[in-house]
Amino acid sequence: MNPKEEKVKIITEEFIENDKDAGVGRQKKTPKVARQKRKKRLPTTGPEEMVPENLHFNQQGPVPEDSDTRPLSMTSRRGPRSLPPIPSASRTGFAEFSMRERMREKLQAARSKAESTLLQEIPTPRPRRLQSPSEKEMETEFGTEADEEVQRTQKEDDSQSYSRVKFCDSVRKIKPKPVVPPGFPSAEEAYNFFTFNFDPEPEESEEKPKAKNRDGMNQEEEEGEEEEPPVQEHKMDEEELLSAKDDEDFLLGLDHAAEDFVVVRPADYESVHVRLQMEKELLFVPSRLTVPTYKKLPENVQPRFLEDEGLYAGARPEVPRACQNIMENRLLTQEPGRKWFGDDGKILALPNPTKGFPSRPPVLTREQDIKAELETLYKKAVKYVHRSQHMIGSGDPSGNFQLDIDISGLIFTHHPCFSREHVLAAKLAQLYDQYLARHQRNKAKFLTDKLQALRNAVQTELNPAKPHKSLDTTQKAINEYKSEIRQTRKLRDAEQEKDRTLLKTIIKVWKEMKSLREFQRFTNTPLKLVLRKEKVDQKTDEEAYEAEIQAEISELLEELMEEYERKMEGYRASYQQWKAWKKAQRAKKKKKKQAVEEHPDEEMEEPYPGEEPVKPVPPEPTDRALVEQQVRERAAWSRRRPGEPTLVPELSLAGSVTPNEQCPRAEVLRREDVKRRSIYLKVIFNDKEVSRTDSRPLGADFRVHFGQIFNLQIFNWPESLTLQVYETIGHSGTTLLAEVFLPIPETTIVTGRAPIEEVEFSSNQHVTLDHEGVGSGVPFSFEADGSNQLILMTSGKVSNGVAWAIGENGIPLIPPLSQQNIGFRSALKRADAISSIGTSGLTDLKKLAKWAAESKLDPNDPNNAPLMQLISVATSGESYVPDFFRLEQLQQEFNFVSDEELNRSKRFRLLCLRSQEVPEFRNYKQIPAYDREIMEKVFQDYEKRLRDRNVIETKDHIDTHRAIVAKYLQQVRESVINRFLIAKHHFLLSDLIVEEEVPNISSEGSGILGLSLFKLAEQKRPLRPRRKGRKKVTAQNLSDGDIKVLVNIIRAYDIPVRKPTASKFQQPSRSSRTFSEKRAASPTTHSPTHSTDYPLGQVLVRPFVEVSFQRTICHTTTAEGPNPSWNEELELPFRAPNGDYSTTSLQSVRDDVFINIFDEVLNDVLEDDRERGRGIHTHIERHWLGSVKIPFSTIYFQAKIDGTFKIDIPPVLLGYSKERNLIIERSFDSVRSLSEGSYITLFITIEPQLVPGESVREKFDSQEDEKLLQATAKFQTECALKFPHRQCLTTVTDISGKTVFVTRYLKPLNPPRELLDACPNSPQAMEELVARYVSLIPFLPDTVSFAGICDMWSTSDQFLDLLAGDEEEHAVLLCNYFLSLGKKAWLMMGSAIPEGPTAYVLTREQSHYLIWNPCTGHFYGQFDTFCPLKSVGCLIGPDNIWFNIQRYDSPLRINFDVTKPKLWKSFFSRSLPYPGLSSVQPEELIYQRTDKAAAAELQDRIEKILKEKIMDWRPRHLTRWNRYCTSALRHFLPVLERNQGEDIEDDHRAELLKQLGDYRFSGFPLHMPYSELKPLIEAVYSTGVHNIDVPNVEFALAVYIHPYPKNVLSVWIYVASLIRNR
Amino acid sequence: MAAAGPSVFLLMVNGQVESAQFPEYDDLYCKYCFVYGQDWAPTALPLASVSRADGGAGAEEGPRTVTRTEERRQHGDKARPWGWRQALAFPGLEEGISQITSKSQDVRRALVWNFPIDVTFKSTNPYGWPQIVLSVYGPDVFGNDVVRGYGAVHVPFSPGRHKRTVPMFVPESTSKLQKFTSWFMGRRPEYTDPKVVAQGEGREVTRVRSQGFVTLLFNVVTKDMRKLGYDTGPPDTQGASGPSPQQGLPP
Repeated sequence: MNPKEEKVKIITEEFIENDKDAGVGRQKKTPKVARQKRKKRLPTTGPEEMVPENLHFNQQGPVPEDSDTRPLSMTSRRGPRSLPPIPSASRTGFAEFSMRERMREKLQAARSKAESTLLQEIPTPRPRRLQSPSEKEMETEFGTEADEEVQRTQKEDDSQSYSRVKFCDSVRKIKPKPVVPPGFPSAEEAYNFFTFNFDPEPEESEEKPKAKNRDGMNQEEEEGEEEEPPVQEHKMDEEELLSAKDDEDFLLGLDHAAEDFVVVRPADYESVHVRLQMEKELLFVPSRLTVPTYKKLPENVQPRFLEDEGLYAGARPEVPRACQNIMENRLLTQEPGRKWFGDDGKILALPNPTKGFPSRPPVLTREQDIKAELETLYKKAVKYVHRSQHMIGSGDPSGNFQLDIDISGLIFTHHPCFSREHVLAAKLAQLYDQYLARHQRNKAKFLTDKLQALRNAVQTELNPAKPHKSLDTTQKAINEYKSEIRQTRKLRDAEQEKDRTLLKTIIKVWKEMKSLREFQRFTNTPLKLVLRKEKVDQKTDEEAYEAEIQAEISELLEELMEEYERKMEGYRASYQQWKAWKKAQRAKKKKKKQAVEEHPDEEMEEPYPGEEPVKPVPPEPTDRALVEQQVRERAAWSRRRPGEPTLVPELSLAGSVTPNEQCPRAEVLRREDVKRRSIYLKVIFNDKEVSRTDSRPLGADFRVHFGQIFNLQIFNWPESLTLQVYETIGHSGTTLLAEVFLPIPETTIVTGRAPIEEVEFSSNQHVTLDHEGVGSGVPFSFEADGSNQLILMTSGKVSNGVAWAIGENGIPLIPPLSQQNIGFRSALKRADAISSIGTSGLTDLKKLAKWAAESKLDPNDPNNAPLMQLISVATSGESYVPDFFRLEQLQQEFNFVSDEELNRSKRFRLLCLRSQEVPEFRNYKQIPAYDREIMEKVFQDYEKRLRDRNVIETKDHIDTHRAIVAKYLQQVRESVINRFLIAKHHFLLSDLIVEEEVPNISSEGSGILGLSLFKLAEQKRPLRPRRKGRKKVTAQNLSDGDIKVLVNIIRAYDIPVRKPTASKFQQPSRSSRTFSEKRAASPTTHSPTHSTDYPLGQVLVRPFVEVSFQRTICHTTTAEGPNPSWNEELELPFRAPNGDYSTTSLQSVRDDVFINIFDEVLNDVLEDDRERGRGIHTHIERHWLGSVKIPFSTIYFQAKIDGTFKIDIPPVLLGYSKERNLIIERSFDSVRSLSEGSYITLFITIEPQLVPGESVREKFDSQEDEKLLQATAKFQTECALKFPHRQCLTTVTDISGKTVFVTRYLKPLNPPRELLDACPNSPQAMEELVARYVSLIPFLPDTVSFAGICDMWSTSDQFLDLLAGDEEEHAVLLCNYFLSLGKKAWLMMGSAIPEGPTAYVLTREQSHYLIWNPCTGHFYGQFDTFCPLKSVGCLIGPDNIWFNIQRYDSPLRINFDVTKPKLWKSFFSRSLPYPGLSSVQPEELIYQRTDKAAAAELQDRIEKILKEKIMDWRPRHLTRWNRYCTSALRHFLPVLERNQGEDIEDDHRAELLKQLGDYRFSGFPLHMPYSELKPLIEAVYSTGVHNIDVPNVEFALAVYIHPYPKNVLSVWIYVASLIRNR
Repeated sequence: MAAAGPSVFLLMVNGQVESAQFPEYDDLYCKYCFVYGQDWAPTALPLASVSRADGGAGAEEGPRTVTRTEERRQHGDKARPWGWRQALAFPGLEEGISQITSKSQDVRRALVWNFPIDVTFKSTNPYGWPQIVLSVYGPDVFGNDVVRGYGAVHVPFSPGRHKRTVPMFVPESTSKLQKFTSWFMGRRPEYTDPKVVAQGEGREVTRVRSQGFVTLLFNVVTKDMRKLGYDTGPPDTQGASGPSPQQGLPP
C-alpha cells in the first residue's frame, strides 16, 4: 500500500466519523474521489460537484460549506489580529502603562512577525511534530498554499494524540513563562502581572479564528478547537521566548540593577522532538487504523456471521469506530491470543442492554449535590428523529438507506397540443410498438413449429416400425396429440390473423397520415413508414402452403370421420332398440288383432328417425371438396398468400418537418404554443415532495428528456413513490397534469441492474385550444364532415428506473428485512404491529400471525418471544377467531383463572364488595387469606338484603302499611346515601388543610386583627392554662373503644314518692284521699297529710339513675328523697355499626340513650321477726319511675347536651305519687309548680368530640323564580351577618331534592273529621286532641334517614302517607291544622333542648301566645320556664317570613308581635311584595278509617311478642303470668287512652286492689306512637321490669292499640309485676 | 385449620428515622405513624394487652391524630415522654414523637434523630401495604411550633435492609395574605391529618412546597409471605449497606 494512499484514507475515515451527516453522502465515494473533490472545491465549485450535493436532499443538519467562504474569511479575520489587545490596558495602573505599552508593542511586533512567517509557507510548528515520511511527498504534490494547509491540518489530526500529550507540558510551560521578563519592582505589580493574565487571553481568542480557518478544510470545528490550542501554545512558546528576549534587551537597557539581583536564565526547555522521541519509546499508542479482518481471525478462517445463519444476535452497543479500532489494535498487540474476537472478527460484545429511554423517573438521592442537579446545562439541539412506526433508523446505527430514482424522460402519447397528424403519428407509433413486440415474440411461428412437431409425433406413433408399445396406449397418445394439434392449430390461426390485422391497420393508419399530410400540405412529424418487402421463393412457398393445407384438410377429414363413426355407433344402438320395440309392438298386435291397416303407418312412422342417420354414411368425396374450400378460404384470409412477399414495416423518423414559414397560421400558433410549454416532475416520497426535476421545454415531438438521477436517502420505509407531472405554460402557473405511481423496487434491484421501465399515465384534464392543437378531453374528428368523432385524453409514459443504491463497500443500502411492501422492521414493538395491521388486528390472531410472517420477525429475538408464543398458540390447532370486538383484548392473558372460578371465590367476592363500599362489608377487616376460612354466613345478610329489596317483608312489620312505608323509606335512603357517597369523594381544601381564616377586620369579636395581634404578646406557655375548646376529631381514623358517651347526671326534681300503699300498710282509706287531693292539685291541703304520714327522716323514695346505651348499662349510686342530687359521671362506650366510624355511619346511628330513673326498694325478706335483731336480710327491688330518651344523633350533632329535661313518667305509677314538698322548698318551687312533672338535669357529651358531618355541598335545582332565590340568598346573608347563630330558613329541600320556598308548605288543612267530632264544643280540647294526633305520628329524624344530608321537608300528605317525619313535618302539619281551625299560627324555627335546632308551632290566643311542641303534643305558655324551646330564630307564616332581630332570642323575653318591623325583619316587604306563591300542599287531606280488626290483631301479636321477649330476658327464672291482672289491665288501658293518660291513677288502683287482693304491685302503662316493633321492645326492656328475680313474682302485660284515622296508632303497654304478700 | 398452614403473614419492620436534611430550618422534631389497609393489623405484643387493660388512663391522652400543633404541643408539655407512653400503649412503636434535634456543626448540617421504628404487622392481603407517614415540626421565628414537612413512603416489600430518602413537603397557603398572616401568627396551613399524605384522594385541591429530606432505615423481615403465595422477590443479598439476614422462609 502506498503510504500516501493510506494517509488519505485515514483522513477520509476521520472525516466520516466526525461529521456523520456530511459524510453520508460521501461515503460511497472512493477515497480518491473524495480527495479530488476537496482539491477541486477550493478554487471553484465544480458543476459536477454540485449535483451530488444537491442530491442529498434528505440530509438534515447543516453541511458545513465553508469551502467557498474560506478565503474570504481568512482575510477578514486577519484584520483584528493585528489590533492591540485592550483589556489589559484598562486594568493596569496608569503609571506603568507606558512601559507596558511599549513592551506590548514589542510583543506585538514579534508576534505579527511570527504570524506572517507562519502564513507564508513556513510551517513553524511542523518540525516539532512527528515528521512522517509522506510529508515530503505531499509537499511536492500539493502546490498551492491552501492545499498545503489542508495537508497540515490533516497532519495535525494524525498527530492529535501526540499533540495532546504535549498539551499538558506546554500548559505547564506557559505558566512559568512570565517569570522571564524580570525587573518589575513591587511584588504587588508582579502579582498583578501574573494574575491578570493579560496575554494568553487575547491571544487565545485571536488564535481561535485562525484555527477555525485552517480547520475549515476539515469541516470539523470541534476537533480543530481541541487540538489547535496546543499547537498555538507551542508557537507562543517560541514567540514569547522571542519577545522575552526583546524585553530583556529592553530592560537591560533600562535597568541594570535588576539583573544584579535576579539571575536570569532561559527556561529549561526540552525540544519537543526529543520529548516525542522519548515518549515514543516509552509509550505504546495503538493505531487508530481499522484492523483488517484476517488479522483478527485464525488463519484461513472466513468470518462467520451469525445473523446470516439465522441466529439471533442482538444489537451491539454503539462504540465509535475510532475507539473500536484502537481497542482492536491494542488487543492484537498486547494479547495476541485473539480470544477477544468473535467468529465474525469483531470484538465480542453482548447485545446492548440499555433501553433508549428511561423507564423510571430519576430519584433524588441525597448524596448528590442538589445544586449540581439544579444547574442549567447547555446542550446542543438534538435533531428530532421522527419516530413513526415505519421508522427504520431507530436502533440501527447505520440507518441511512438510499433509493435511486432515475428519471430518463417522458413521452406524451397524447397532448392537447397534438395536431391531428400527431394523433395519427402517436397511433402509428403505438401500433408499431405493438407490432415490434409481437414480432419479437413471434407467437405464430412458435405455434406453427409446435404444430409441426405434434404432427411428426403422430406420424411416428402411427409408424408400425415401432411395435413395442401396446396398442391402446399408442392410440391414447395419438388421440391426445390429435386434440392438441387441433387446439394449437386454432391458436395459430388466431395469432396469424392478428398479425395480419395489425399489419393491415398499420398500413391503413400510415395511409391516413399520408393523406392528411397531403391534405394540410405540411408535415408535422418526422414519422415515416417503410414497408420492406422480403422476397420469398415462389415455389417452395407454394409447396409449403399446399402441404400445410393438405395436412389440415386431412386432419379435418379425420376429425369428421371420427364424428361420423360416433354417429354411426349411436345410430346402430338406436336402430337395435327400435327393432326390439317393433317386435314387441307386433306381438301386441297379434294378440289383439285389430287395426291392421294402421300398422304400416306406424311402421313407416317409427323407423323413420332411426333410418335417417344411415343416410350420411358416404359423404366423403363430396365433403372433401367442401372442407378443402373452407380451409383455403381461411388460409387466404389469415395467411400470407403463397409467393406474396413478406411485408416488414419499418418506422423511421427520417421524414422532414415542414418549417414554420410554410405552415398555415393555426399550425404556427400550435407550434409556438408547444414551445412555450415546459414540463417538470416532482418526486413524492411517502406523500412528501422530496425533489423535482429541472423544468425542460416540451419538444416538438412531445418528448421530454430529463436524464436525472435522484438519490433518496430515506429513514422511513417507502410506502409510496409518486412522480407528479407538472406543465408550465409560458410564465403563467403550473398545472398538475398527472400522477405516476412507481412501484417500490424489490430488494434484488440495485443500481445498475434496474431496467428502465415505462410507466403510463393519463390525466382527465379538459383542454380546448384555439389553434391546430386537438386539445384534450374534447371531441374532434379527422373527417371533414365532423363524423367519427374521437375523444382523447392527455396521456403519456414516463421512463424511469427505481433501484436501491449500493454503498461504498458494495452493500446495497436497503432497509434490512423489509423486502415486502407491507412488512416492517424486525424488532418492531407491539405498537408497530398495531400500526401496521390496525388495532383490531391484534384481536385477530390470524392477521397478527400473517403480519409476523410477512415482516419476518426474528423468532429468536427475545424481544419477540411473547408475540411469537402468542402466534404459535394461535396458529397451532384450532385458532379461535372471535367475531366480536374486544376492548381489552389481552385481558384473557391476564386472567389466571376463569371468570366462573373467580366468581366462586368467596375471598374475591368479599374484596370486591368491600371495595364497592357495600354497607355490610365497608369496614370488613382482615379478609382471610383463604376461601375456606370465609364463612358462608358472611354473605347471608347481604344476600338477604338483595333478595328482599323488592319483597315487602311483613315479619318485622306487623302492620303491612308500615312495611310498605319502611321499604319506601329504605329505598329513598339508599338512593340518597349513594348520592352522598359520590359527593363524599369530592374534597375541598378545608377537608384536607387546616388554615387559619384571614382575620376579618370589619367583624366584631375575636376576629379583629388587632385583637389577634394582641394575642401574640401573650405567653406561649402560660403557667395557668385557660380552658380551651375541646379538639375535634374527624371520625375517620377511630376504632372501637375510642369513643365514649359521657353522661353527667346532676340532679333531679320532683321524683314521685312512694305511697304508703294500702297493700303494705293496710290503709285503704288513704288512697282515695290522695286521689282527690291530686285532682285538686292543692299543695296546701296535701302537705299536712304527708307530714303526718311520714315520720321525719323516713325515706320517701331512693332514686337512682340508670343509663343504658347500646345495651351497656351504668347506674349511679342511690340518692334519697324526691329531689336527689347525684352529680355523677357515667361513661358508656360507643360502638359504631359495622365498626365504621365514618361520618356517614355515625350520623345514621339510631340508638338512643335511655336515662331511667328507678326507685330502689329494700324489702325485708326475713320471715321471722325474731331473727331481726341478728341479721339483715333484705331484698332489693327496683321500680321504674320514668325515663328520658335522647337519640344518639342529637348528641352527635349537638356535641353536648346540657339542661334540665322533663322525665317521661307514665301516667299511672302504681304505688307512687307526686310529692309536693312545699314546706321545705316552697320559696323556689313556686315557679316550678306551674308545670307538672319531674325533671332531671343532665350533661351529655361525646369524648372525644366528633366533627359532625357536613351537609352535602350540592346545589339543588329549583323551580322557584330566580329573583326569589336571589332574594332568599340576600335575606339569609343579611340575617347571618347580624345574628349568625339564629336559625333563618327561607328555602327547604323537598322530598324529590328540589329547593322550595318555605311558605309554600303552610296552608290550612283539614284535621280528621273524627277529631273534630270528638269534642265539638270545646275548641281548647279540640286543639289538644289535634296536637295529640300529630304527636302520635312516629318521629324519625331526617338525619337518620338521610344521613349527612340536609333537611328534607315532605308535604303533609306525604308525611301522613309515610307516617314518619321529624320536627318540621310535625310542626307543619300541626300548624296547618291550626290554620284550618281558624287560629293564628306560625311555624317557629328555633332551638330547643334536647333536639337542638327544631320547629315548634306558635299560636296566638286571645291575650297570650302558646308554644306547641308538635312531637309531644304538649303546649306551653310563652312564659313557661319549662318550655323546652330556648331560642327563637324566625317565624314562618303562610305568606311571609319574619326573622327575629330582637336583642334576645329566648321566648320568655321576646315580643311575638310580628307587625313591628323593629323587632321582626320580614322577608316580603313593601320593596318586595308577596307574589302569591301557590302552595305545595294538597287541597285537602283525605283520611281513611283505620281497620279496627287489623288494629286488634296487631294488638294481640304485640302482646304475644312482648310476653315472649320478657320470658327470653329472664332465662334463669320462671315467668308466671297473672291472668287476672292482665285482664284487669286490659280493661283499664282504653280508659287511659280516652283520658289521654291523665288523672285516673287512684281510681284504677282501687279497682286493681279490689280484683287482686293481697299483692304487692308495681307497674305502669307505657304510651307510644306505633312505628315498628323494635322501639316497643326497647322501651319495655329499658324499664327493667323483667329484672325482678323474687321467686314468687308474677307478671302482667297488656297491650292496647287505639286506632286513629290514617293508620295512626296509639299504643299502650301496661307492664306490671306482682308479688303476693304473705 | 392450623395444619393447613398459616392464614396470615407477618411483616416485621424495625429501623430508625435516621436523619434529615432541612436546609432552612433547625431544632426540628419528627413524628411518625403508619397507615395501612383494612386487612392489616399491628400484632400485639404481650405489653399491649397490659396497656389495653388499663384503658381508661390512656383515654384522655388518647387521640392518635392531633390536628393542630398547638394542641399537640400542649400535650407534649404535659407529658414529655409522649413517645414512650405511646410505645407502651400500642403494639410495637406504631407511632411516636422524636426528640428535638439541632443541626450538626459540620458541613453536612444534618439533623439526626436516630429515632427507632419497631412494629410488626400481620395481614392477610398485601393490599394496603403499610406506609410510614412522617411529619416534621419545628419552631418558627416567633417560637411557634409549625410544621416543616410531611412525607410518606411504603415500607419496603422485600426482606432486608433498606434505606429510604423521603422528600418532605408542606401545604401552601391559599393566598398571599393568608401566607403572611399564617407566617405572622405562626399558624401555618397543616393537613387535617398527616395521614392524608399517604393517600391519593383529594390531593388535587392542595398545593405544596418542597422542604427537605428525611432518611429512613428499615430492616424488614417477613414471615409466611411465600407460603401464602406472595413472592416479594429475592432478598437484597448484595446490599452493601449491611448484612442482610437470610430470608427465614420455611421450605
